[in-house]
Amino acid sequence: MGVKALVLLAAILLVAAPPVIAQRRFRGEAAVTPNNTRYDGRFTFLRLRYAPLERGWGRFGGGQEGWAHDYPRAERNLMRLVSELTMIRPYMDGGNIFPMDDKEIFKYPIAYLSEPGFWSLSEAEAAGLRTYLEKGGFLIVDDFDGYDWVNFEEKMHAVLPDGVLMPLDVSHPVFHSFFEIESLETLAFGNYRSVSQGAEYHGIFENNDPRSRLMVVVNYNNDIGDYWEWSDQGFFPIELSNEAYKLGINYIVYAMTH
Amino acid sequence: MLETIFTLLFKQRPIVFQRGDVVFEASWTVLVLLALVGAAVVWIAHRRVSAVSARGRAVLIGVRLAVLALLLFALARPTLVVPTVVPQQNAVGVLVDDSRSMRVADVADGSRGAWVLDALSPEGANLLGRLSREFKVRPYRFANGVERLDPGATLTFDGSATALGGALDRVRRDLSTGPLAGIVVLSDGADNGEGGLDDPVLQLSAAGVPVYAVGVGRDRFTRDIEVARVELPRAALRGATVVADVLLSQRGHGGRSVRLTVEDGGRLLASDIVRLSGDGEATVARIAVPLSESGPRSLRFYVPPDPGEEILENNARTVMIEVRDDRAKILYFEGEPRFEVKFLRRAVAEDPNLQVVVLLRTADGKFLRLDVDDAEELAAGFPRTREELFAYRGVILGSVEASFFTHDQLRMLAEFVRQRGGGLLLLGGRRAMAEGGYTGTPLADALPVELEMAEDAEYFHELRVQPTPAGRTHPALQLSGTLDQNAARWDELPVLSTVNRLGRVKPGASTLLRGSGEGGDEAPVLVQQRYGAGRAAVFSVQDTWVWQMHADMAVDDLTHETLWRQLLRWLVSDVPDRVAVAVEGDAGDVGSRVRLAATVYDSAYLGLNDATVTARVLTPGGGEREVALEWDVSRDGEYRAGLAVEEAGPHEVRVEARAGERLLGSVVTHFVAGDGTAEFFGAEMRRAALERLAQETGGRFYTTETVGSLPEDIRYTERGNTVLERHELWDMPIVLLLLLGLLGTEWSLRRARGLA
Repeated sequence: MGVKALVLLAAILLVAAPPVIAQRRFRGEAAVTPNNTRYDGRFTFLRLRYAPLERGWGRFGGGQEGWAHDYPRAERNLMRLVSELTMIRPYMDGGNIFPMDDKEIFKYPIAYLSEPGFWSLSEAEAAGLRTYLEKGGFLIVDDFDGYDWVNFEEKMHAVLPDGVLMPLDVSHPVFHSFFEIESLETLAFGNYRSVSQGAEYHGIFENNDPRSRLMVVVNYNNDIGDYWEWSDQGFFPIELSNEAYKLGINYIVYAMTH
Repeated sequence: MLETIFTLLFKQRPIVFQRGDVVFEASWTVLVLLALVGAAVVWIAHRRVSAVSARGRAVLIGVRLAVLALLLFALARPTLVVPTVVPQQNAVGVLVDDSRSMRVADVADGSRGAWVLDALSPEGANLLGRLSREFKVRPYRFANGVERLDPGATLTFDGSATALGGALDRVRRDLSTGPLAGIVVLSDGADNGEGGLDDPVLQLSAAGVPVYAVGVGRDRFTRDIEVARVELPRAALRGATVVADVLLSQRGHGGRSVRLTVEDGGRLLASDIVRLSGDGEATVARIAVPLSESGPRSLRFYVPPDPGEEILENNARTVMIEVRDDRAKILYFEGEPRFEVKFLRRAVAEDPNLQVVVLLRTADGKFLRLDVDDAEELAAGFPRTREELFAYRGVILGSVEASFFTHDQLRMLAEFVRQRGGGLLLLGGRRAMAEGGYTGTPLADALPVELEMAEDAEYFHELRVQPTPAGRTHPALQLSGTLDQNAARWDELPVLSTVNRLGRVKPGASTLLRGSGEGGDEAPVLVQQRYGAGRAAVFSVQDTWVWQMHADMAVDDLTHETLWRQLLRWLVSDVPDRVAVAVEGDAGDVGSRVRLAATVYDSAYLGLNDATVTARVLTPGGGEREVALEWDVSRDGEYRAGLAVEEAGPHEVRVEARAGERLLGSVVTHFVAGDGTAEFFGAEMRRAALERLAQETGGRFYTTETVGSLPEDIRYTERGNTVLERHELWDMPIVLLLLLGLLGTEWSLRRARGLA
C-alpha cells in the first residue's frame, strides 16, 4: 500500500469522472441543500455550516457559501480513497452538514470547517463547537489564506478562549498516522504557489500541551478540500492531489486513535 | 413436662426404659392357665346376657377381657432390668468450654461462664458434686486447645477459638485405658477449630462412648445484628471498585433498615442503607467499595449497634484486600480505525494502573502501534507465540475478522483465557463475532454466547443499555455512588448501537448488560463467563464512545472513563501472575491455622511441579518464619503449606519460587490474625450441633434447665463397670389407672343397659 496505489486510484478517478463536472467550477454552483444521512455507526464526514460573513465584496464563489466550498465532491472523493486505502468503512455519499450549535454534531467526532475567513459565529455556535472539542471532537480547518487568518483567529479565540494556535512541524504524529508524510512544503493555496505563501500547519492542543491530544488542525495558505474535489479533473498535478489525500487520511486516522 | 408425667405414670424416667429391658418373672405355665380360666369365666358369664344386642355384648366382653389382661400383666411380674454403673469404678470426662463466647450473658441472670463455674463448684448439690458421688470425674477445659482442669485451676473464658472436635478426641484417648461411662460437654456448641466434628463423632460412636451435651446459653437471641460473612476479592487493582457481599444475620430486627459502612483505617469508603429481611432471616447486602489506596488494606464492615443488642462485638468484621499498584498490560487489537480506539485510549490514558497497548490494522497488512513499551513489541503484528501473547493480562478484540488469524492464533487466544487465566473482551463491529466469521472457530468455545449471524447484512440496531440484576451490583458497572444512584445513572445514558446479533447465552454465562430497542425487543449486550482459569466477555455494542461525545453528556461527565477503567480492571482482576499465592480460609485468632496456597507457572503458563517454593512470614512482632510449600500432587503447579498463627495482627507473607538457583518470581500477600472477636460471631448456643453430637454417640442433650437429670441418666450405661438394676413394674400407677378406668367403663355400660 502507499503512494503507488494512491496514484493509481487518483488516475482512475481522473479518467472516470464526467467532464461536465469541470465546467461547474467556473460557472458557479447553486446553494447547497444538505442531504444528511442518519447515524449508523459508520464514519461519516461532517462539514460545519455557518452563516456567511459579508466582507465587502459579498459571497465568494459566485453563489456557493464558503462553508460549502467543494461539497459534496471533496468528501465523496476523499471517502472513496479512505474506503479503498484503509480498513475504515465510511459513509460514501458525501457526508453530513450541521451548524455548530446542532446536537447532531456530537455523533460525528471529526468535523471539517471550510473557508474560516468568512466564518461568522454566534455564541451558541461557539459554545457548541467548544463542547465538541472538549469532549473529544477533532476539527480540520481548511481553505483560507492571507488576511483570512485574522477572522479565523478571532473566531477560534471565541470558541476556545484559552486555546493557543501552535505551528506544527512534520515530526508530529498526525503526519505519520497512516502515510509517512516527509515534507509539508509541497502544497499551497489553490496551487497558486506563485502568488501565495506556502502552506502552513497549525494546531490547538488539549491543555495547550503539544504532547497531548491535537484537537484542531489548521491548513493555512492551503485548500486540501479543493485538491480532493478536483483530483479527478486534471487541474492539479496528481502528486499534489496525493499530498492532499495523504493529509486528509492521516487527519482521520489520527483523530480516530488520539 | 412430658418426662415428668411419664415418670409419674411409669415409675421410671424414659431413659431408664431406653437403656433397660422389660422381662416377666412369673411362670409362663401358670399365666397361661390363669388366662384360659379367666377367659372361660368371662365367656360363660356373658353368654346368657340377653338384654343387650350382640354388639353390646361384644363390647362388654372386650372390656372384661382387657381387665383380665391387665391383671395378668401385673401377675406376670414385669421387671425393668437396666445396667447401671458401679459407683466410683467408672470415669466421666467433663469438657468445659473456656472460650470467649462463654462470656455472653444469656443464662438466667448471668453469663454462660458464671453458670458453668456454678455447676462445677465443689458443693454437693450441683452438677459436679452429684457426678462425683457415682463417678471418678475427670474435668478438662478446652478452647483453642484442651488441657486437664486441675483442682484449684480457674476458668478464664479467654480462649479465642473453640476446637470441640479436637477436645473430644483428646478426652476419648486419655480415658480409653479405664472404664469410661461417657463424656459430659458443657459448651455453647461453637466449633471454629480445624477439622470439624465429623471424625471425632465417628470415633466416639465406634468406641461406644456416649456424649452428654449441655448447651449453655440461648439458642436464639432476642435482639442482635451480626456481620456474619464478607465476600470480597482477595486482590484488586488500585482505583477499582469492588463489590462486597455482606451477609447480615439478625434477631429482632426483621424488616428494619440499618446502615452498613465500610472503613479503611477510619476512612469512610462506602456506606449504604440495607433493608433487613424478616425476623431471623439472613440478608445479603451488596456494597460497592472504591479502592483508591494501594497496599494491604484492612476493610472494616460495620453496622452500628442498636440499643438493646445482646452482643456488640459481632457488629463489625474486618477483611483484608490486597490493592495492587502495578500496571496491568492489556492488548487491544482493532481491525479497523474507529472512534472506539480513540475514546478507549483517552479513558485510560491517565490511569496509572492500566496500560492498553493498541495494535490497529489501518490497512491490509499495515498496522499502527500505540503505547507499546519498545520498538520490538508487536513489531510483527499480532502475537504468534504463547510467550508473546501470555505476557498480557487481558486482550480486547475489536472489529477484526476471524480469517485474519491463523488457526493456531485462534486456539492460542482460547488458551490465553482457559490456561493462562487471562481476560478476553470482544467488542461489537462489522468484522466481529458471527459477522466476522468466528462461528466454529476454536475461539467460539471460549465465548459466553452462541454466535448467530444477523440475517440482514447491514443489520444496525440502536439499544438503550441497562444493567441486568446481576449487572446492577457488578463491580465493572458501578458508575456512581450507591447502588441506587448507580441504577439511576444507567437510566439516563444515551442509546448505543450494535451491528451484531448475539445468539443464545451459554449455560454458566451471565448477562450483565441488556439492550432494548425502540420496538421493545431485547438483546444481551455484555455477557461474561469463566472459561478455564480465565474470563471471556462480549460487549456487543460498537460505539461506547457515544457516552463520552453525546450532546446529553456533560463535558466533565466521567461515565465513559469510569466504565472502561472498571471494565478493564474487572477483566484482569483475577488474572494470575506466574507466581501467585493466596491465604485460604479466614485467618482466625491466635492458635488457629491458615493455609497458604501458591501456584507456579512457566512462561507459557504450564504448571511447574519441581520448583522450590518458600514463604517468608513476617509476624506483627517483627519475627520472621520460613515455611516450605509442598507440591500438591493432585494439581500441576500448586504448592501448599499450613501456618500456625502465633501472634495477633497483620502478617506479611512473601513467597518465592525458584527453579534451582533461578528465581521464577516472588509475590507478597498479607493477612490479619485475631482481633479477638471471632468467638462472638455465630455465638448463639448451637443446639443442633450439640444434639447431633449427643444423638450420634448415644448420649443425651440438655439445656441449663434440664441438666438436673444428667447425673442420674449417665448412671444407666453399658459402658464401664456395671451391674444390673431391677425395677418391678407391676405397681406402676399406669396399671392401676387403666384398671380403674376399664372397670368404671364397664360399670357405666352395664348401668346404661339396666344390667346388674
